[in-house]
Amino acid sequence: MTAEEKTDALARAAARFRGAHKSRIAAVAAGLAAALLLALIALTGSGYTLQFSTDILAAVTLAYGWNLISGFTGYLSFGQVSFYGIGAYATSILVLRAGMPWYFAVCCAGLLGALAALVLGPIMLRLRGILFALGMLGLARILEVVFNNWNYAGASLGLSLPPALTPVSVYAGMALLALLGFLLNAFFAHSGFGLDAMSLNEDETAAVALGVPATRVKVIAFALSALLPAAAGGLVAWNRSYLDPSSAFDPTLDLETIVFVLFGGVGTLWGPLFGATVLMLVAEEFLVYLPHFELALYGLVVIATVLAFPGGIVGIFNRFGYLRRPIILAPAILPAGEPPQKRPPRADEAPVLEVKDLEVRFEGLTALDGVSLALKRGETVAIIGANGAGKTTLFNTIAGFVPPSRGEIRFFGRDVTRLPTFRRAQLGMARSFQIPRSMPMLSVWENVVLPARHGKERQRAVEHTAWVLHVSGLAPMWRDRAGRLPPGHQRQLEFARVLALAPEIAFLDEVMAGMTVEEREVVRAAIRRLPEFGVAAVVLVEHVISAVADLADRMVVLDFGRKIAEDTPQRVLRDPAVVRAYLGEPR
Amino acid sequence: MLLLQLLVNGILLGGLYVLIAQSLNLIFGVMGIVNLAHGGFIVLAGLFTYWFATTSGLSPLFVLPLAFVAMGLAGALIERFLVEPLMLRERRADLASLMLTFGLSFVLVQLALNLWGSDFVSVPYLQSSYRFRGLNFDAALSISGVFAAVISASLYVWLNYTLSGKSLLAASQSPTGALSCGIDVGRVRMVAFGIGVGLAAAAGVLVIVVLALAPQSANDFTLLAFVIIALGGLGNYLGVVAASLLLGLAQSVAGYFWGGNAEYVLPYLLLLLVMVARPQRFRQSP
Amino acid sequence: MRVSRSRLGALGSAVLSILAGGVVFAAASAAHAAGAPIVVGATVSETGPLAADAVFQLKGEALGVAVANAHGGWLGRKVLLKYYDDKSSPGTAVRLYQRLITEDKVNLLLGPYSSLVTIGIAPLINKYKMATIEPGASVPTIYVKGNKWNIQGIASSTTYLKQLLPLAHKAGANKVALVGLESAFTLACLDARVAQAKQLGMKVVYRTTYALPMPDFSPIALAIKNAHPDVVLGCTYYPDAVGIARALHQQGFAPKYFGETVGPVEPAFIKALGPLANRILSNTSWWHNYKTPGNKAFIAAFTKKFGIAPDYHAAVGYSGIEVLGAAVKATHSLNQAKLRAYILSHTVPTIQGPFKVSRYGLMLGASQEMVQIQNGVLKLMTPPSLAEGKVLVPYTGS
Repeated sequence: MTAEEKTDALARAAARFRGAHKSRIAAVAAGLAAALLLALIALTGSGYTLQFSTDILAAVTLAYGWNLISGFTGYLSFGQVSFYGIGAYATSILVLRAGMPWYFAVCCAGLLGALAALVLGPIMLRLRGILFALGMLGLARILEVVFNNWNYAGASLGLSLPPALTPVSVYAGMALLALLGFLLNAFFAHSGFGLDAMSLNEDETAAVALGVPATRVKVIAFALSALLPAAAGGLVAWNRSYLDPSSAFDPTLDLETIVFVLFGGVGTLWGPLFGATVLMLVAEEFLVYLPHFELALYGLVVIATVLAFPGGIVGIFNRFGYLRRPIILAPAILPAGEPPQKRPPRADEAPVLEVKDLEVRFEGLTALDGVSLALKRGETVAIIGANGAGKTTLFNTIAGFVPPSRGEIRFFGRDVTRLPTFRRAQLGMARSFQIPRSMPMLSVWENVVLPARHGKERQRAVEHTAWVLHVSGLAPMWRDRAGRLPPGHQRQLEFARVLALAPEIAFLDEVMAGMTVEEREVVRAAIRRLPEFGVAAVVLVEHVISAVADLADRMVVLDFGRKIAEDTPQRVLRDPAVVRAYLGEPR
Repeated sequence: MLLLQLLVNGILLGGLYVLIAQSLNLIFGVMGIVNLAHGGFIVLAGLFTYWFATTSGLSPLFVLPLAFVAMGLAGALIERFLVEPLMLRERRADLASLMLTFGLSFVLVQLALNLWGSDFVSVPYLQSSYRFRGLNFDAALSISGVFAAVISASLYVWLNYTLSGKSLLAASQSPTGALSCGIDVGRVRMVAFGIGVGLAAAAGVLVIVVLALAPQSANDFTLLAFVIIALGGLGNYLGVVAASLLLGLAQSVAGYFWGGNAEYVLPYLLLLLVMVARPQRFRQSP
Repeated sequence: MRVSRSRLGALGSAVLSILAGGVVFAAASAAHAAGAPIVVGATVSETGPLAADAVFQLKGEALGVAVANAHGGWLGRKVLLKYYDDKSSPGTAVRLYQRLITEDKVNLLLGPYSSLVTIGIAPLINKYKMATIEPGASVPTIYVKGNKWNIQGIASSTTYLKQLLPLAHKAGANKVALVGLESAFTLACLDARVAQAKQLGMKVVYRTTYALPMPDFSPIALAIKNAHPDVVLGCTYYPDAVGIARALHQQGFAPKYFGETVGPVEPAFIKALGPLANRILSNTSWWHNYKTPGNKAFIAAFTKKFGIAPDYHAAVGYSGIEVLGAAVKATHSLNQAKLRAYILSHTVPTIQGPFKVSRYGLMLGASQEMVQIQNGVLKLMTPPSLAEGKVLVPYTGS
């Protein structure tokens, strides 16, 4: 660091410190003001004010709940009302049939909702995109019919509870729920767990390859996002003191919630609060003062917002530098970083990777046919072959994306054939993707800290990330959004994320495809340095044979899923069978 | 005999479903635009047909070409000026289009409410049935089923055997690839959205002949259409035809043996069952 | 500094947005001075699945208020109807009644349309102790000891089509098919009719319930057909009433007796079904030939004001205003307890007949009478003294 840089860094650090201090005061002041306002409404508001405020807080709670699974985690749901209904019924039944006090029943309902999500999650979350959304929608409709016919729960006539009617206690309870929603969202926006969730939203396949336990993360996010509507549903049921299936599982409730969040800013901390509050106020004013145009006006507000303000209300703030999400786990200034501690090789060490008799079938087509392979510490092996020879399938199978129909994969002697992909990544089997799959909405730092943080304590993860950023040449742009990087830097980022896993073995999939000669040289130099970064063995898949001939100790040639040669590059390239497979039959 | 009658009823109902779902399939399955205003278009066209038929005394089917062209044009304009900017700008175009069409659906429903009121209406037309070897063929459903079959067959031919249709399929499968082949993806989207909305309008005309409609029915059709295309496979033309017919059949059987609740819940139950039993069909994201 | 500014901005704007809400509340709550009009508050489902019937109720109420003002108002004050659209949703209705009571501070309340929405607001009515006439809630279970302040303004749901089964039974019909919508009113009606069939010794050959939106009634219609009933009785609202009638015909079945509760009395019903509507039996709690005080004037004024003939929902809404007016004038006050005591203890003549309720507010006076559509026109069939003709059988479906 030059002296100039040092002063600059110091000045920035000092400013950050002052900023953090000031922001804490501001946060406390604003929190107090909000609490005061809520208390004011509670003490002086009319029944209607109290009721409407409770309704707004309920909408905020639902919006925060939806934002967890659909905003941060990216699993769009059209059926969170299922949990709302479950919570409403649970509360009513506990109060009526078990004589439980309402606040206790509401807590139980929230937990029950989360539990239901834990059970449903592993099934439902296998679906992606709009299919998950529709699956959830179907679930809500099915529950509606179940409750319509379940006599214990009052069937379609519903249940009547002793009247509560917006006493201040219900209002306060709803405020607490909204606060819980805010805190849960704040946790997602600031924590490593939240980063895992957001990485699923960005690119689930890449996230898994970077060691994110996708299923666990999304099921937990789903459960948390079910907790809020379930508890809110319970409170609303208690407040209204009447409950029937059609209002408990009302699909429009979900649509409203979704629009609240999108209007405020999806996947942001403040979006649900702003969206629900503003739109509830707008809709009520339209309903009361312009009753014959309210739907159209409401619709136009929504259309205008989506056209003019991408990212919702929070998006507008972002444009002027406000309300931006802080970069997760990022230090104020980028530290120098330290390289990973090298695991000392043991004398009786098993091969780094051992693949035995691997077979993969896709609906009758044999993609890999009895391929075996072994790598010792310090080796670099290149896998070559014509298009469709099975190179990428071999990669995907070793990494865990494709289950083999036969054979086994051992990593340092440990059988990993049945291990989930993310576990293999965490153990140190890292892969890159042929087309860089950086997570465009996350910062460069977050892209790298995501794989770097597994199994490390926070400080070690930060140091490791910083080191990776320095050695991969991404330090100058570490706070930038990955999507804004030029293509060359995207490839560097792909490489950096492999390093961030602190891998024992690195699988690099056509990292040099489509590169100029100069660019290739940069990458080749980086690959040569891998052992010095602690990588015990490297496997390259490459189309451009000349680019890897002098990098690899050995070459493996695949043809139609079968290994047809394995030897030093010089000998392999002279093998007539290889030449034939690669260049076709001489005519 | 009973089973045959159930089969007839189910297939006729399924025929109507084909059109309700296929138009959305074009917009959503093929283009990835989540069109929540789908039911709004159906209802608007249906109520217009009701108004036309009751004031003029003519057959509601006269409205069919008019509704197709007029709403198709409106759809193309909506795509060009409202949806297209989002498609070009947004990374999650599905979310943005969802919000946009959600707003649009409110505008459409209000339009229908203010024009024709909130009543459920239906047209007293083709209320009888054709009898053939002891089987009853519901006249309204038969006629609308025939029209639906003709329309969706033409759609199929258009998509698979004409240049413009093929370029639409190409654009949906790989926008960048299509672009490099010299296909104007934006224009293709406009045409497809226009045709999708036009078909929704045609479906609306046929629906009002069969069912009672009110502005607030809009969401019901949207949901039904989404469920059918999910069952049939997004963007899968023949899959949606099969799913529509099977669903019609299953509802007809379930409604007969287990009553109205079973019929109501069946589409959703089927969807979940298929999703749980055959998740691999639904694995890949659309 | 970016971090601090963003935090501050965020919280500041959150507070602002909530404050803005507060200002709106404050602006909306205007006080009513003495001598100002007497405000009657209500919500009505102008939109949502129940709108078709609800709008008639609203028109009846609006006419009632207009007529009251034409006669000099109540206690020398003008009468004003303040209403909101509850979108057929109990949740929205709860909020809007809160608004009517605590913000708009209305003097009197009328109930919403439909039993479901009324059940939703019942706790509220009782919390604020507002004597509320319920013109849209026929379900008798609302009017029990706990719900002191709800007063039924319409004939009980157990009286809907109560004349049909005895009539059919007398004529030798024995097998009955009963269908009903999954909703408070229709299910109460269905249960009452099932019990009645059993009491008469008739055989219930088919029975099912369904939820809206119902895509297609043909499976149910086919099932009804194959059960070969003499009587088909549907406890319906409007959309399903149309759907079932069409589906039965399309499956080629015409029962001897065919009755549906809510729906057939709407003008839209006959328009929607054309000849299919003929000989369908239904019910009404009011008819144009009732020799009740003011009935002729009501029909004339309604037709003049809205350009269509009233139905019983309109008459029920109108009667609600009549009863409120009578109570206010008799007690010379707007005191809710006094009003309630008056209504519970007196019989008020209205256009739908004598308004008389039990001590729990259950309607005793008004009852549903049977009507039949004959050649595209509704004709009253019961009571014999007012009947406009004889019930025509069989239902032909054309």
